[in-house]
Amino acid sequence: MTVVLSLVEISKTFKQDSRSLPVLDKITLDVGEEFVAILGPSGCGKTTLLRIIAGLEKPDSGKVVLHKQDARVGFIFQFPTLLPWLTVLDNVALPLRANGMSWSEARERAKKYLSLVGLQTFEDFFPKELSGGMKQRVNIARALAVEPTILLMDEPFSNLDPLTAESLRSEILDLWSLGVTTVRAIIMVTHSVDEAIFMADRLVILTPRPAKIAGIVEVSIPRPRDRRSPEFQKLEDKVYELIAA
Amino acid sequence: MINVQYLLLCAGASLLRMVAAYFVSVATALVVGTAMARSRAVERVLLPLLDILQSIPILGFFPAALAFFVSALPPGLGAEAAAVFLIVTSQVWNLIFGVYTSVKSLESQLFDMAKVYRLGRAATFFYVCAPASRNSLVANTLISWAGGWFFLTSSEIIALGSAEYRLTGIGTFIIESFERGDTLSFYAGVATLLGVILATYVFLLNPAGEEVLERELLSLHATYAAWRGFISTVWRALANALVSVEGKLRLPPLAAKLAAAAAVALLALAALRGAPRAQPFDLSGLLPLLVEVAEQLPVSIARVAFVVAVSAVISLAAAYVSYTRAEAAALVALAGEALASIPALIWWPLLSAVALGSPLGPPIVAFIVLLQGALWYLYFNLLVYGLASLRRDLDEMASLYRIRGWWYVRTVFAPSLLPSLAAGALSAWGGAWNATIAAEYATFGGRVIDLGGVGALMAKKAAAGDAIGVAVSALLLSLAIVAVNKTVWRKLFELVESRYGGTE
Repeated sequence: MTVVLSLVEISKTFKQDSRSLPVLDKITLDVGEEFVAILGPSGCGKTTLLRIIAGLEKPDSGKVVLHKQDARVGFIFQFPTLLPWLTVLDNVALPLRANGMSWSEARERAKKYLSLVGLQTFEDFFPKELSGGMKQRVNIARALAVEPTILLMDEPFSNLDPLTAESLRSEILDLWSLGVTTVRAIIMVTHSVDEAIFMADRLVILTPRPAKIAGIVEVSIPRPRDRRSPEFQKLEDKVYELIAA
Repeated sequence: MINVQYLLLCAGASLLRMVAAYFVSVATALVVGTAMARSRAVERVLLPLLDILQSIPILGFFPAALAFFVSALPPGLGAEAAAVFLIVTSQVWNLIFGVYTSVKSLESQLFDMAKVYRLGRAATFFYVCAPASRNSLVANTLISWAGGWFFLTSSEIIALGSAEYRLTGIGTFIIESFERGDTLSFYAGVATLLGVILATYVFLLNPAGEEVLERELLSLHATYAAWRGFISTVWRALANALVSVEGKLRLPPLAAKLAAAAAVALLALAALRGAPRAQPFDLSGLLPLLVEVAEQLPVSIARVAFVVAVSAVISLAAAYVSYTRAEAAALVALAGEALASIPALIWWPLLSAVALGSPLGPPIVAFIVLLQGALWYLYFNLLVYGLASLRRDLDEMASLYRIRGWWYVRTVFAPSLLPSLAAGALSAWGGAWNATIAAEYATFGGRVIDLGGVGALMAKKAAAGDAIGVAVSALLLSLAIVAVNKTVWRKLFELVESRYGGTE
């Protein structure tokens, strides 16, 4: 397995006033060219772990190692997090522009990724003119447009209606398995066991705070996966056992 | 005979001065407001400082600032810079607070986004913080622009003892015409000034205000699109240039910090170069000065408090009229904009007949000047923010249960407006203090009017050329004002916030 990213003994404690709240306790994990889902009870620190990988927060100890020299990171936020005063196109182009591309190059690349998520005809719209699902697609296009090696997703479907969420899940899986993007590894945080088994190659289950790794479950069911198949159900039971333990 | 060419030249010069000051104010507000919202350390230092600065009589520090600018820069430029500086101090505070609250209330996720996608300082500023501040900048500009005109004349004729600086401008034109006894030119000057002020509102600020406030203001849209296009082209070019440089350079954070520190050091050095030329202050004079200020304080406090109370009543009435009669709303707003902009020093010559006609004259004119320095903060706060905070559901409830007229005002209208009334009253309180210098003491047409009070004390010291004395008096007065702010006003805000803020 080619390792893309290593987490080495990552610990983090939040300090508020005089109280301190340990959230992560020496998390060590290698991520290869695969789709990893991080599962855990709410408040266990899985989002904190993702934020540490993204560089949004610093661990108290331990380190994040990217094995490719110029590995870039794309981040799909839980909420769309779009700038209301920029068009859809410019929202996607801004990270490229801010990192040295000209506007015309940046917009050209943004167009390509917007059409990948089916929004090519909405380029000149403003975020408030789009539905929740479409805004989340812009969020996805923006993450892909920086041509990342690693794609991080923070409960990306939790704020969508069930139908929209399901079709977005399939689209992400299609993009992933067709290999049309630069993404080599996906790390998704979720609290839905069903979603994790449906999408990921490997599930990393965390314990309640302070989080340690409770267990790792490989999912070798070929895609597209059928939620009602016996293998799916069996895995689900296994994961729930790990979470309850 | 009116010298029309000269009059137009003066009006143009004043307008240019105002525009220059306004751009300095907006740039300062954007940079300082963003820095305060983004950095805990900057916030901790500047927030209390600005709170004080916006409520103290800036005019009192003006002679000292003038002395500084004139000694630090070549003479002509120094007086000009001092004038722009004074206008800036009259417009910048609410702009800074507007930017600060806008950026502060942005979701933190947007800044996570900026960090994940490695948006640099310039990119974050131009694409996240500045656009978020746009609406509040426009709304506050309606107030600040009037505040600037109010101090314009005070900044154009600056006397410091025997030295007097007169800048070419409409304020100087009006005062000089009056001194010459040239009534025709005097009125032509006042009319031109009002015309220029109204034109800037109707052609430029009101259309912009309509866009962001979603309220009707009296405006003409003929040239607005062109102005808007021009400004956004310039802004976009600036953003593009800086973001390009940043994207190519990718300064490490340490280098950026070093550059900022170097800039601060240079500024401090420049300030030090100018400072030592002021004469040293005789410390033994401090105690008598303290006694003097303390003696004059009660009468000024009484005047200012009275004026704030009257302002609150007038503003509530105006807000009620413009709320209940939509067709009057645009006119009420424009009347406010025009009246708010009339420079403080013009009232005395303009109302000289009243002022010199009877013994009651001077207090009446002083009251008008004070009112004019204070009223508008309340007026605009209620009209812009207050009316926007009225809740439709409460209105529907009132009409359903037939709560009307006085009962409606007492139980629904006034309580809903209280938070913005309190915010406006605090600004009005600061504005009134600033106006005391122009209201309590005036010399015109060879007459001296001295109504006593701390404002008169400072004005007299300025006339005597005692810049340090003025500044120290203003400092003592500021301490007293801050003490009141920290006790009376804070209590009031807590009460209003706990009972009338938020929802049920």
